[in-house]
Amino acid sequence: MRAANLYEIITVVLSRDLKDGEVGFTGLTTGDGAARFATSIPLAAAQLARLTHAPNLTIMLAGWVHNPDLRKLLRLPNSEFDEELRDLDCEAQSRGFPNHPWAIKRGDIDFGFASGVQVDRSGNLNSVCIGTYHHPKVRLVGPVLQPEHLTLFGREYIMMPHHDARRFVEKVDFVSGVGYPGGIAGRRELGLEWGGPELVFTPKCIFDFDKEAGCMKVKSIHPGVTIDELRASTGFDLGPLKDVPVTPQPSLEELELLRKEVDPYGLLLPSA
Amino acid sequence: MTAQKRQSKVIDLNEAAALVQDGDRIAIGGFGVYQRPMAFVYELIRQKKKDLTVVGIVNGNDVDILVAAGCLARVESSYVGFEKFGLAPNFRRAVESGMLKMVDYPEILSMERFRASQENFTFWPAYFLGGNDLLRINPDIKPFTCPLTGKKAWAVPPADPDVVVIHAVLGDEFGNIVVPSRRLTPQSLDITLARSCDKVIVTVEKIVSTQKISRHPHLVEIPSYRTTAVVEVPWGAHPTPVLGVYGADDEHIQLYLQAAKSPETFGQYLDDYVYGVDRHIDYLEKIGLETLLRLRKLDIAL
Repeated sequence: MRAANLYEIITVVLSRDLKDGEVGFTGLTTGDGAARFATSIPLAAAQLARLTHAPNLTIMLAGWVHNPDLRKLLRLPNSEFDEELRDLDCEAQSRGFPNHPWAIKRGDIDFGFASGVQVDRSGNLNSVCIGTYHHPKVRLVGPVLQPEHLTLFGREYIMMPHHDARRFVEKVDFVSGVGYPGGIAGRRELGLEWGGPELVFTPKCIFDFDKEAGCMKVKSIHPGVTIDELRASTGFDLGPLKDVPVTPQPSLEELELLRKEVDPYGLLLPSA
Repeated sequence: MTAQKRQSKVIDLNEAAALVQDGDRIAIGGFGVYQRPMAFVYELIRQKKKDLTVVGIVNGNDVDILVAAGCLARVESSYVGFEKFGLAPNFRRAVESGMLKMVDYPEILSMERFRASQENFTFWPAYFLGGNDLLRINPDIKPFTCPLTGKKAWAVPPADPDVVVIHAVLGDEFGNIVVPSRRLTPQSLDITLARSCDKVIVTVEKIVSTQKISRHPHLVEIPSYRTTAVVEVPWGAHPTPVLGVYGADDEHIQLYLQAAKSPETFGQYLDDYVYGVDRHIDYLEKIGLETLLRLRKLDIAL
């Protein structure tokens, strides 16, 4: 069998982190790399989890299509609210405010996926602007659902399709999604009772958090990525890295399920 | 005693846009680049409205074109962009140059601001804003302590639009508006918008008889008494889609974005598609029958 590629490796690591009975929320991110990281990988991971250790997991596509039959997709959807998704076989649909079936503020959503133009060492995300708010160098789209993702969901997986020092910064220019300023205690002081970033997936590594200290640390480095390369592409100090393991490979069974059952037409994860 | 005739609320696009005053807070139906009352937006531009505030949820080409035409002073929203097509070029230029005042809100909270207006609340409570820079830049959001539990909270101002305009599939001359039962978020939010304001303008693909509407009363989500005016505007959301009726004109949106690369080329776009067409039908002629037929959908699931 062909060796696992990076997308498959990340998908399987993520899948193992999802628990039975949980409810997950994926947004519909578009653009090749971004869609792959923030939409396809999460969907494939959730479906793999449902087929293995988490049969009672619920995953939402575009935040509203519950447990879609991904094998009925003819292509990766790129419009959030059109007939294509409306008519995709699924178990339930959230049809909009205020009658969503999910009670977001009661904590219905256990995990979500977010991305940003910048992420910092504390796990703060920015999708609002580069530079100062009132005179930005680059004005971006806005906070969208990031404030809710990082506070109302049980935990957040940050999906970064590019890993470089412009995106991984010491301090984001604007906090539109709150990480761990002052650690877990800091979040509590801000009135945030649960939630926050859990893991950060990039093409070079996986980060997790020292939640007490409130800082991101390297959990594993992807095969073929050097420590020097990782340091050079990150805008904050990563600390000692020599004992950091290589990101684990999928088992043969996981890889086979992923290719034959979850994504038989290679829509979600590219084979190359 | 002579019986009075029930009054029709049908007016034309000119008259409808004239209901918007310079300086108004306007809420524009739809979501992102879906089901926007674009024909109405173009008419606002032709009437050279000034100093409007768009109070929105997730905005797209509606805000981008109004900014470019000089109609806006302020935008309150969680997002302005073109989704799969990328950033909003005119909006971006205007914010970066300090020409437009942007006030960012979280997405669900942006929806709840309209709910607050529906309920006539003076604020909507939020409990999840701690640590977010949105608090730093928005003096309209005030901290408070829940008087019952002592929990940290923030009072968020209601949307309070002066006028709401939405685009729907069908309505009758009195303003009963049908929203398909298989609606999605853009259509659901339109219903919330219509309950948040006492001046509600609805453009519809087609005006049908009340007799026809009466066979589907369960689909009338906006009853006549909430509607101020109805305008028949077929293809009135182009280039955005109307769920079940026609798809998005992606090619036109690409053409728009190409033109929006500079203010000069965008001036030409405005001349071609907005200022240069007096009537909506002339706009549709310009888009062309072939394109319109290609975009058309015949939905079996109203």
